[in-house]
Amino acid sequence: MLKAKRKLGVVFFPAYDWAISATHPERQERLLYTQDQLREEGLFDIPGVTEYKPELASWLDVDRAHFCFPDVESVATQSHCVSAGGAIRAAKLVMEREADRAFALIRPPGHHAMKVVHGSRGFCNINIEAVMIEWVREHYGRKRVAIVDTDCHHGDGTQDIYWHDPDTLFISLHQDGRTLYPGTGFPMEAGGPRALGRTINVPLPPGTSDEGFLHVIDNLVLPILSDFKPDLIVNSAGQDNHFSDPITDMNFSARGYAVLSERLGPHLAVLEGGYAIQGALPYVNLGIALALAGLDYSHVREPGFDPDKCRQSAKITEYIKEITPQIADFYFDPPKTPKTGRFEGETYIREKEIHYDTDNIHEDQTETLHLCGDCPGLLVIESRSTVNPPCLGVEIPALACPRCHDLGLRAFEEAQIKSGYRHVQLINRKDKEYQRFLV
Amino acid sequence: MLLGIDVGGTHTDAVLLDLGGIVATRKVKTDHADLLGSIAAVLEGVLASVDPAKVLRLNLSTTLSTNAIVEGKSEPVGVFVSCGPGIDPEYYRVGGHYFLIGGAVDHRGTALEDVNEAALCAAVEKCRADGVRVFASVGKFSTRNPEHEEAILEKVHPLADFVTSGRRVSGQLGFHRRINTAYFNSSVWRLFNRFADAVQRCVASHGLRCQVNILKADGGAMPLSVSRRAPVESILSGPAASVMGIIAICDIDLDSVILDIGGTTTDIAVFADGAPLIAQTGISISGKPTLVRAFKTRSIGIGGDSAIAVEGGLVTAGPQRYGPSMADGGEVPTLIDAFNVQNIIAYGDTMASYSGISELAMESGLDPETLADYAIGYAANRIREETALLIREINEKPVYTIFELLEGKFVRPAKVYVMGGPARAFATVLREAFSLPVLVPENHAVANAAGAALARATVDVELFADTQKGRMFIPGLGVERAVPPSYSLDQARAEAVDNLRDYLGAIETEDPDLPVDILEESVFNMIEDSRLAGRSIRVKCQVKPGVAEAYKRGIKRQC
Ligand SMILES: [Zn+2]
Ligand SMILES: [Zn+2]
Repeated sequence: MLKAKRKLGVVFFPAYDWAISATHPERQERLLYTQDQLREEGLFDIPGVTEYKPELASWLDVDRAHFCFPDVESVATQSHCVSAGGAIRAAKLVMEREADRAFALIRPPGHHAMKVVHGSRGFCNINIEAVMIEWVREHYGRKRVAIVDTDCHHGDGTQDIYWHDPDTLFISLHQDGRTLYPGTGFPMEAGGPRALGRTINVPLPPGTSDEGFLHVIDNLVLPILSDFKPDLIVNSAGQDNHFSDPITDMNFSARGYAVLSERLGPHLAVLEGGYAIQGALPYVNLGIALALAGLDYSHVREPGFDPDKCRQSAKITEYIKEITPQIADFYFDPPKTPKTGRFEGETYIREKEIHYDTDNIHEDQTETLHLCGDCPGLLVIESRSTVNPPCLGVEIPALACPRCHDLGLRAFEEAQIKSGYRHVQLINRKDKEYQRFLV
Repeated sequence: MLLGIDVGGTHTDAVLLDLGGIVATRKVKTDHADLLGSIAAVLEGVLASVDPAKVLRLNLSTTLSTNAIVEGKSEPVGVFVSCGPGIDPEYYRVGGHYFLIGGAVDHRGTALEDVNEAALCAAVEKCRADGVRVFASVGKFSTRNPEHEEAILEKVHPLADFVTSGRRVSGQLGFHRRINTAYFNSSVWRLFNRFADAVQRCVASHGLRCQVNILKADGGAMPLSVSRRAPVESILSGPAASVMGIIAICDIDLDSVILDIGGTTTDIAVFADGAPLIAQTGISISGKPTLVRAFKTRSIGIGGDSAIAVEGGLVTAGPQRYGPSMADGGEVPTLIDAFNVQNIIAYGDTMASYSGISELAMESGLDPETLADYAIGYAANRIREETALLIREINEKPVYTIFELLEGKFVRPAKVYVMGGPARAFATVLREAFSLPVLVPENHAVANAAGAALARATVDVELFADTQKGRMFIPGLGVERAVPPSYSLDQARAEAVDNLRDYLGAIETEDPDLPVDILEESVFNMIEDSRLAGRSIRVKCQVKPGVAEAYKRGIKRQC
């Protein structure tokens, strides 16, 4: 008889009444066939596997993770709040021990949404995982979190959000940025000056199959995780590495995804991309769910899967074997200074130009981290875009020293009075206060 | 006149109704070794002084199939399973003749792999050698493409007295449930048909020439002729009879809780918008999930005969039952005895109740009234807690659109109806526990049989169309045809309703204008290479459980 070895909660929310546009890959029926497959398989009849419905994330929940300009309402629709609320529900199941593992099978996705949000990029408006993680920290204390992003696209949004956070380890496995959107995610992108080695990027060549992915999991991800010792492991479970995905070039299989999920053993898996909605998603999602629950997935096999045709070339195998230890070094022996950005006095500054492809918005950003010997330091972001006048975001870290705490509060107040900012937002993690101000 | 017979676990009840109300009732103890004898006995009783020709309909609720399955008296079934990729079908093995014969169909009904002829032939030979005569032919996603079930059917046909095709048991998805449902259906087929033959003879011998219907677990009635092919549908119709009973007696318009309290258990059902809620998936039989439609209910081990115990200073009742109450000559004090001690009722040998409770009270250092009070309070709280869990489960039902998530209806019970033998005894304490109006409908003693008598047909159908493939299916009714690329949701909806009505006409229900509800409908564009390749259309509709309204007037009470 089938019985889950680990209690699994699945938050399934296909959002059948929401799409970016009628023919966009991120459209209504994206999870339709997955729903059919899960129903036909009777996943929720298996003792220990339970389906839950999402909550609705509040604007406050979003404000904890993002600087949304002009405000949350303008950049995120209810569907985004439901998607984030689905992830929150999944996290709550695990935190309250109602489930051992949870899978948020939700859309729309979020891993391209950065710290500052002016609109949608890479089909993402708000970062589902970040909203969830900050919700967990708000309610259950400052957890050490590892995010392993296995979407085919570089999780540039998640990377940006946790760039300076030494308590959040972000590992992204993705198709090499030289061959795919968003064009980033190279090994030297290793985190800000106070969190070097907490961002790990593993660009994989087009054509990488199960063997390559699992090699990186076994020889890079798992050793790093066992050293980092996270309280919570989150898998951004994008499924566009599948060999049949229409917008990418990888050779990953449903079984490969299941094995990866089993070895990684995330507490929480959150669906990201994946657009082979008939031939891949139904099987990949089933495989991931079974693996998370500790159930036999050996018969999960997508139609048209031919291991010989999908097998990566010997050259790819060699290449991945070669880069894996080099990239692992970015965690175990991180560089002394970041490769990007510049130091100016007591600050570290990054200038960024961000393009929002989905909404066609352009943003210019200056991010300033106040370097402090006693705490992770105050973060201040100035942003202007083609849809918003200059805006300011101030973030006081949870472990801020009294000096940085004061500095942050003052920066927030001064921006309201004399500078030329239209919108000013404060994320004050130390006091758990989140404020915005319209000048 | 309408006649209802409820063959229950303890009693068999019959009620004869006309437009003016109850004409006759009869109750006998159920003889499980001879169900037909019990049926004949109540028939004789109610028909004693009326002209049988005036009886228009006999509705029968029976435990026959349920008992056969629970007691393992059902027949061996050759289960032939065509399965695609997914969960290993070996986990779904049921019975001693379960055969995996290859073949794969995907979620859109595309056949990916043919049935393995060699495996199929070998399985047929094995069944022939073992004398297996009934079969189940089940394919994964067979509701989207029946060809593999058909291939199996063709092969086993020469050997078979009866074959259940998986897609015919329900249009719903659920491969494991489809296997179990088809298996159970075939396993009780012969037994049920013998019973049906006997019922027909018995009915005829009493001068009845009316239509005979069998009650289903979803509170609907199906003609005996239909039930012969779908005997699994008659399973667990007992709880359904009691819910239909309350519909027969009361006009329920508020969200309500129905408690049917028996000797051992309490069954909890919920009404929303005036109708009992049907479970999303099917009922479980002997711990195996099926696609048999049933009311959404929850059962707990609290009833009139629940034994009272004291453990570590905590007074509890149930789930154990060691026999009748001491008031009825039992050995162990029960909730009925506690009600006697509290003077809420005066049932049977009240002195026996008092001495039994007193003895238990003495052992635990309580006075008898306090112990009785605690036991009753415990029982009421358990019922309230379980009801709250059921309501929570209903309100937590997953939804798949933003609209439903934001605007979805929540069930908030405003009234509690209590039925069953000990209903009156429990009413007061339940009123306190629920802080809601609690009603004990009159006539509840015969409500089950009355509910059975008045139950009308129910049916649900699911239509599935794929305009790219140009096919439309209504699997439960065996309807399948080609559709043009322009086939629309409006056409699908109309076609589903028409087919449902045709079916009702074919089974000769007395009322062809039964209200049809559209439960779900959706249309999805299928995009390939950024172009519209076709549409996937789904419509689910049903005739809700209900009763013959004209007859209801005669027995309706203020409640
Ligand atoms: Zn992606
Ligand atoms: Zn500081």
